[in-house]
Amino acid sequence: MNTAPPVPPALTPANETVAIVRISPLRETFRLFVQNPTGMIGACLFGMILLLTLFGPTLYEIDPFDIAGAPFTSPDAEYWFGTDYLGRDILAGILVGGRATLTVGAVAAIITLAIGIAMGSLSGFFGGMLDTTLMKITEFFQVLPTLLFAMVLVTLFGASLQTITLAIGVVSWTGVARLTRAEFLRIRELDYVKAATAAGAGSSYTILRVILPNALPPIIVAAAFAIGISILFEGGMSFLGLGDPNVMSWGMMIGQNRNYALDAWWVVVMPGAAIFLAVLSISLIGDGINDALNPRLRKR
Amino acid sequence: MITDILVKIANAALLLLAVVVLNFCLIHAAPGDPAQVIAGEMGGASQEVLDQIRRLYDLDKPMLHQLAIYIGKVLQGDFGHSFYFNESVTKLILQRLPATVILVLAALSLAVLAGTFLGVLSARKPNGLLNHFVTFFSLAGYAAPVFWTGLMLILLFASAIPLFPISGMADVARPKQGAAYILDVLHHLVLPALTLAIVYMAQYSRLSRTSMIDALRADYIRTARAKGLSERTVVFKHALRNALIPVVTMVGLQFGHLFAGAVLVETVFGWPGLGRLVFESILRRDYPTLLGVLFFSALLVMLANIATDIAYRLVDPRIRLRR
Repeated sequence: MNTAPPVPPALTPANETVAIVRISPLRETFRLFVQNPTGMIGACLFGMILLLTLFGPTLYEIDPFDIAGAPFTSPDAEYWFGTDYLGRDILAGILVGGRATLTVGAVAAIITLAIGIAMGSLSGFFGGMLDTTLMKITEFFQVLPTLLFAMVLVTLFGASLQTITLAIGVVSWTGVARLTRAEFLRIRELDYVKAATAAGAGSSYTILRVILPNALPPIIVAAAFAIGISILFEGGMSFLGLGDPNVMSWGMMIGQNRNYALDAWWVVVMPGAAIFLAVLSISLIGDGINDALNPRLRKR
Repeated sequence: MITDILVKIANAALLLLAVVVLNFCLIHAAPGDPAQVIAGEMGGASQEVLDQIRRLYDLDKPMLHQLAIYIGKVLQGDFGHSFYFNESVTKLILQRLPATVILVLAALSLAVLAGTFLGVLSARKPNGLLNHFVTFFSLAGYAAPVFWTGLMLILLFASAIPLFPISGMADVARPKQGAAYILDVLHHLVLPALTLAIVYMAQYSRLSRTSMIDALRADYIRTARAKGLSERTVVFKHALRNALIPVVTMVGLQFGHLFAGAVLVETVFGWPGLGRLVFESILRRDYPTLLGVLFFSALLVMLANIATDIAYRLVDPRIRLRR
């Protein structure tokens, strides 16, 4: 009586002619990303920028705040990128300044994602009053021009790397929140979520372990763009003089030198190109991930 | 439709009230004495001025009472006094507002028109040369910081191609009258508007390209072609109209960003608008002016949203006739 029902031969483990390979969606995305030329160009460029900012300052031992030569020395064999209005070495500034700019970009993007995902998943999953309230808050933050709001916060609370990072994160999460909410609303209705609920999964388990992993792909794309936007915001604020005065950053270099741009083009062209290349590389990566995730492009 | 719009306006009014409350909270959350914050120029205000502010804003009363006083003042259009400019904040903002509105509207129109045009052209041949150009341009336009684009244009137009003035809003040395003045302003407007437009042109070309590709695949396009309509009619009348809907949405959503971008562009080109005012107030720690600008920019964004909403209903019969 206790014998198991006969198993058709095709499904027995002994008959291993057909193997079902489980590929995780993230690994599949990574495979497609590596094959994508746009994404790989971005990844290589970004890797280079990262290496230069990580190890550059140790190899090129010039303090970016030191007066290294005569003001406005044009780029030559000694000063590859020239010197600025005080005679500070621009290459040294770019190498060291990258650390602040990229750190602010990355941390602000993490804050953006944390707030955005929390707001979006709660309001998408629970719906009802909570959804209405959280969406009203989101709407409120959308009305305030992001960069301007961040500037007001930094002016009021003092310009330091921490306040700048926090301010950028606090003003820019609305897009991620809306995206996450939309994904949650869609996935919430799918069968496997109902199955998980029927199997007795609690709310937090369903949100974190069932829905969120499946909602992640578009959020990862948004994350790449969030880093880019944070870098641009940091640049804009330091350009206006809202940066930390004791920390070299690309935006600050442009802001301090901008009045001399007509006499010495390199003082603004070089640091600006650094911001441009950093943001470009990150958005290329974002594009690459986006293409890798797009099922319509996959079949090509 | 009218009730819908009235609901929107009521909603907008509530959001604006929330912005006022936010401003109030910011004044009190900022480090230091609120009276100092309201006076601006940290530490520079005399005891007399501070006492006067404490009396004006009832700073010794309970918080809720203070909030009520603050909201009452805002409702009367009083955003405080800028001690640096020695002028009422409202007056300062209203003086600078037109320049910014001109700049933002010029940039927005340029971005939408040129961006959509590029997007439509590239959508017709998804693997053509123009398409690659649009993709590259949209990535580059997005990645270049707007203040840097401005500086690059200044470098280009200052000596190499001296066609356009690189600073200010009008010729100060030779002031002009009437039509000549308007032409002069337009002449000065070219570079700032172009700078601000480039970022958004990139985004609109991308967006309209995607939505145009989708629209050109739709069944009604096949029907239109099968009817024997000319390619021009099919693309510009049948497909474009439908592809424009996401573009209209984007215009409303981006108004705020454009406005914030104007802060940087105005600083680069010395354009005498709200952005330049923000820059000056940041330098002087002129908090009342900053908070006033924050309120007015939220107001502008909200007006833009309502306008978009109405435009939306006019463009799309599905929304117009729903109820």
